Amino acid sequence: MRDIEKEPVAAEDAAAEKTTPMTMIQALRSAMDVMMERDSNVVVYGQDVGYFGGVFRVTDGLQAKYGKHRAFDAPISEGGIVGTAVGMAAYGLRPVVEIQFADYFYPATDQIVSEAARLRYRSAGDFTSPLTIRMPCGGGIYGGQTHSQSPEAFFTHVCGLRTVMPSNPYDAKGLLIASIENDDPVIFLEPKRLYNGPFDGHHDRPVVSWSKHDLGKVPEGYYTVPLDKAAIFRPGADLTVLTYGTMVWVSEAAANETGIDAEIIDLRTLWPLDLDTIVESVKKTGRCVVVHEATKTSGFGAELAALVQEHCFYHLEAPIERVAGWDTPYPHAQEWAYFPGPDRVGAAFKRAMEA
Amino acid sequence: MGIHVIKMPDVGEGIAECEVVAWRVQPGDAVKEDQILADVMTDKATVEIPSPVHGTVMALGGKVGESLAVGAELVRLEIEGAGNFKGDAAKPAAASAGASAPAADEPADVPHGFVPEPQRVAAGAASVSAAPSAEGVRDPGAPAARHPAPASSGSGASSRAIFRDANEKPLAAPAVRKRAWDMGIELQYVGGSGAAGRITHADLDNFIAGRQRGHSAQSGADSRYAELQGEEAVPLIGLRRKIAEKMQLSKRQIPHFTYVEEVDVTELEALRTQLNARYGAERGKLTLLPLLMRAVVLAIRKFPEVNARFDDQAGIVTRYQPVHLGIATQTDAGLMVPVIRNAEARDPWSSAKEIVRLAEAARTGKAARDELSGSTITITSLGPLGGIVSTPVINHPEVAIVGVNRILERPVVRNGGLVPRKLMNLSSSFDHRVIDGMVAAEFIQTVRGYLESPATLFVE
Repeated sequence: MRDIEKEPVAAEDAAAEKTTPMTMIQALRSAMDVMMERDSNVVVYGQDVGYFGGVFRVTDGLQAKYGKHRAFDAPISEGGIVGTAVGMAAYGLRPVVEIQFADYFYPATDQIVSEAARLRYRSAGDFTSPLTIRMPCGGGIYGGQTHSQSPEAFFTHVCGLRTVMPSNPYDAKGLLIASIENDDPVIFLEPKRLYNGPFDGHHDRPVVSWSKHDLGKVPEGYYTVPLDKAAIFRPGADLTVLTYGTMVWVSEAAANETGIDAEIIDLRTLWPLDLDTIVESVKKTGRCVVVHEATKTSGFGAELAALVQEHCFYHLEAPIERVAGWDTPYPHAQEWAYFPGPDRVGAAFKRAMEA
Repeated sequence: MGIHVIKMPDVGEGIAECEVVAWRVQPGDAVKEDQILADVMTDKATVEIPSPVHGTVMALGGKVGESLAVGAELVRLEIEGAGNFKGDAAKPAAASAGASAPAADEPADVPHGFVPEPQRVAAGAASVSAAPSAEGVRDPGAPAARHPAPASSGSGASSRAIFRDANEKPLAAPAVRKRAWDMGIELQYVGGSGAAGRITHADLDNFIAGRQRGHSAQSGADSRYAELQGEEAVPLIGLRRKIAEKMQLSKRQIPHFTYVEEVDVTELEALRTQLNARYGAERGKLTLLPLLMRAVVLAIRKFPEVNARFDDQAGIVTRYQPVHLGIATQTDAGLMVPVIRNAEARDPWSSAKEIVRLAEAARTGKAARDELSGSTITITSLGPLGGIVSTPVINHPEVAIVGVNRILERPVVRNGGLVPRKLMNLSSSFDHRVIDGMVAAEFIQTVRGYLESPATLFVE
């Protein structure tokens, strides 16, 4: 049996110090590469993951480097992919599986909720499920209803799961390594609109490359980003923005465009949640705007708003604002009317300031 | 790019200048064609001036309250293509001080998507380090300003106290409530100057300051007995100034003679009830006013001298055959007098409809200029608020105004016994220079006669 309270492994590798410009795809691949090299129990599989290297090329080259027994293809059966991973994990492997789009996880729900998330509880700690389920998520890529969903709230609602969503290559690699090392099942959501560059919501402007950005400078070796710490992406005094993934960048654009000095908190790990950082910030600013791309009703923003209310009520100067996707399927034809862009976010900033 | 100058248009016959009562745009604003630029006011009507073109406002032609001559520059716009202005572009218009470009709002020229290094402060440990600690080190340089500083406080809380009913709940943000709670202040007694009457931090500050100054021993935290501070200078602009000028002119020039008489309207009210019961559905409900108008019209046939306008400079009283009846009407902007033209040619239902139409037009600012001028005699009524007696001010240069007081059921002695009757006073003022008291009294008695025997309103 594995030690549950295992200490994080110190980064002894000098390669951790040396950085290389990476896209989020390269950073994720590097995380799996580093972990497959360090730990022979790490296996990677999913639809088109092995020979082809993944539809987004995230696992490209891993089969060539580590062989078909460590990086391989799976049938089109999400339930089977996660189910086998739960078994592997229980018996000592550290599977990293890919659900090709987060929109496709639903057939695996029973395996995720009833098996992976419960195994530790059900076996009174004799077994754990140290598996990582990667899923590209979110819109802004003209993918329509079947390739654009943000299902994070399904997972944060389940006890026993960790839910992670990075907003940049640096965090992506550090969080993925920490996820692989973690003994709990981790849902690792990858905002695919950020794979190749930051995206501020202005879809009509040229794409910016990660190579132009500090957060695209990624250490080549091993390092971790803790699974329960938010990042203050942009310090500010006027209001607190609670957000994650693509919306971190949209919120930054909204702050710049409105001139409102927003403190943008990139949650990075939705659960466990870094409540301390949130509470400290809201107590400082007295105003809070929650931004996510997923549909609004019963979205994770509802949980955030409730927590802020519970912990900061008497510090609030204004009602908590939520900016989210509309309560509709993610549309093909009106993608930018659906996507909560900087105008919608900025308008919420103004409402919060004027209240 | 060109400059397009919009001039003060001629909004009514014979108007030499218009007063700007509101600017709807400011320098730097982008305006679209047909967007309203300003509200300007003539003698009584307010007119919206739309923009004929798309453009950006460069300068405004004056301040609110200023009168601009017809043809004077109202707004100067910068437009695509050639403008209509060939003069010296550098020459600023009167109020161009605020015309600087709104540069402050523009974000700095930062490369797209680029975040400078110091902006990203990891809340947790920098995990690149050799031994990442679970605790993490918080940024010691975290913002220092902890005390609440709401954005709205800059605008300054009103020093005006707002008195709340005992069972009306005070509105305040949770942070304000907490502060008040901690200080033992009951928000019920704190005035609110924020949106929807919300109590702001500044209101609380004012309240605390007032309590420290005031007689706290007696009144405690109760703002109902707090000392009040401050004053408010309200400039007279637009309609309010016109009203003031008109009232002043009337009272300064016209020696008013006011005559009050009691009218028994029991029969009239009974008739009105019958008419409304029988004809109300098809012809509309009658109020007392159209019946009074008819009585005034009929009385004027016997006393044409009260239906007149007096030019005291020329020394000429002009008597009119038509009766153009002004009806004093309260609007949100102030008192207006829409005019029922040729009231002598209208039956009560026609008058009633015209009153409704004109009053609505006046209240919504849609009344045409000639609907608000040219009356020859005026009726003023405050309806149920009419009181017992009033001293109406003559609508200069007319010579008479008939005021209506409220109807009240009172005991009246008749044939040695008490009977309940509906009584109403008419309080009327006359220009005593041209109307003698006897004439005024006879005129009102004639009106009274018609009202007390209402059949005579219809059978002449």
